[in-house]
Amino acid sequence: MAEPYLKVEGIVKKFGPFTALNGVSLDVYPGEVHALLGDNGAGKSTLIKTLAGVHEPTAGQIYVEGKPVKFRSPRDASSAGIGTVYQDLAVNPLISVTRNFFMGRELLRGPKGIGLLRMDEMDKIAHDEMLKIGIDISDPQQAVGTMSGGQRQTLAIARAIYFGAKVLILDEPTSALGQKQQMEVLKTMMRVRKRGDIAIIFITHNEIHSQLVADRYTFLALGQVIGAGKAGELEHDEIRRLMAGGAEMADLEQELSGI
Amino acid sequence: MSDRSEADRRQQESRVQRLIRRPEAGAMVVMIVAIVSITIASNGNALNALGIKNNLAIIAQFGIIATGAAMLMIAGEFDLSIGSMIGFSGMSIAMMLKWGLPFGLGAATPFSAFFITLAMTLALGWLIGTIVVRSGLSSFIVSLAFLFFLRGTTEVCFRLINQSTQISGLEDFKETSWFADIFGGEAFGFLYDIAFQLGFNLNRRGEQWVTGVDARVVWWIVIAGAAYIILSRTQLGNWIFATGDNKDAARANGVPVNRVKVGLFMFTAFCATIFAACQVFDTNTADAAKGNLMELNAIAIAVVGGTLMTGGFGSVIGVVFGAVTFGLVANAVFYIPWLDGSWYRVFVGVVLLAAVFANERIRKRITGGI
Repeated sequence: MAEPYLKVEGIVKKFGPFTALNGVSLDVYPGEVHALLGDNGAGKSTLIKTLAGVHEPTAGQIYVEGKPVKFRSPRDASSAGIGTVYQDLAVNPLISVTRNFFMGRELLRGPKGIGLLRMDEMDKIAHDEMLKIGIDISDPQQAVGTMSGGQRQTLAIARAIYFGAKVLILDEPTSALGQKQQMEVLKTMMRVRKRGDIAIIFITHNEIHSQLVADRYTFLALGQVIGAGKAGELEHDEIRRLMAGGAEMADLEQELSGI
Repeated sequence: MSDRSEADRRQQESRVQRLIRRPEAGAMVVMIVAIVSITIASNGNALNALGIKNNLAIIAQFGIIATGAAMLMIAGEFDLSIGSMIGFSGMSIAMMLKWGLPFGLGAATPFSAFFITLAMTLALGWLIGTIVVRSGLSSFIVSLAFLFFLRGTTEVCFRLINQSTQISGLEDFKETSWFADIFGGEAFGFLYDIAFQLGFNLNRRGEQWVTGVDARVVWWIVIAGAAYIILSRTQLGNWIFATGDNKDAARANGVPVNRVKVGLFMFTAFCATIFAACQVFDTNTADAAKGNLMELNAIAIAVVGGTLMTGGFGSVIGVVFGAVTFGLVANAVFYIPWLDGSWYRVFVGVVLLAAVFANERIRKRITGGI
């Protein structure tokens, strides 16, 4: 078995008296989709923000390629190869696909800041990189605001990969989309997975989506891992039970009928 | 059916359609209407040799500050202190020229008066910008505070040192100093020479009538040209757009949002100082009321030029069209005898409202609203 690219051990994160994460561990392997599931407030967001360098963990250790690392800022995390695609995607709707793709990392001719943009080259890279993971935008100069939610998601993913992400954290990438676009995003994820060198952490509420693409699962509830395993090892009912934070479906049915 | 993708739903636009949909299109139409109607109503006087010089003088004034205001608006902020900054820098330059450098450092030259003033205005621009980005307060309020603060400071300094809120009759520095001449002198004289050779540009006695346009026209061309290149071609331009559109997204991608904003507040201060320097060295006067309401003209021109109030979108070319339009209409009263000058403000009100609606339509179309 390959080494995990990213290994998280016993992460604890406290905000004052509140314990958001209480000793969470997970392993993320390249070429795999690792579904991170849990109800609202389970600690999913805190966990990914810790991995993305937004929060520093109170205790515990993160390893990248076996080496212990400490992220002080989002920049540290992204240079360690952890690319986060947030729900709001960090795109600017009024400016073009290319300008968004290279935002903050523009290709220049001349000095930093006032150097001229190599626009043709950037257009071509943005177009090609998005085509690689499945979307053929006809015009890289079109404003991002004209694109569908699924296409914007693809833009954010393609950008993260192009700038060296080895672990792609997707924060509920399907939650705000229509049915057809959700399928587009899942296809995009599978294309990225097929490359074999990139690990995907897929945060979702949707058990159907997770079962379509995930190789491995981690379930969070109240800041703790309540279940984990590979896709083949978990039963459908077990996944559903863990998603609901460990509550038995039968109990719920009983409770509901009692109302 | 199955090979249809999302991209196919976006209709490819023809060249003409794209041109019409550009943010400058509306401003250009308004400009053409203004040029044609003012030319006809003034029997061509607005565009004779002297008319062009006088019109360009005010167009360039508008253009210089509107460029600064538009760049800042694209980055998502306002600067209401532009007009007071003009008054302040004009006071500062003229006062040093008349009363000497501060702290008894001897007589001032145009060079030292300008650069000491510029250092002060850039520092003020930095201060306004820093307060805005550090406090997170609306730039509208912060710069409004500086509108009052700077105008008041200007008047107080005038009365304390000069005993009067006006300075007139300064020495004509542009005759003796090349440095004063690049602000207050004339430029493009050769065009007027050529026109004279060709039989235009004659006064009643048949001699050459006008010798050149004001030097501030050159400053306008340089500032607008630089702003155009920065905005459309450089990394900084991409940062300015990104900052105004969604600053959290820009920050998440490593754009130094705060430095961009502070830099642009300094740029509007720079534009105001150039405006004032051109005025002082041209007329050899200064007045505490100079630049009054100019910040509002600058913002109106930026909006008419297609700049969005909410930031993230705008065009320097549109601002050029807007400055030409506003300058011509502001000056029209001099060429059209029956015209009441207050129609200028009526015009500004109407055009501004129309432009805001047009810009909102553009914004909605881009973000998928229509």
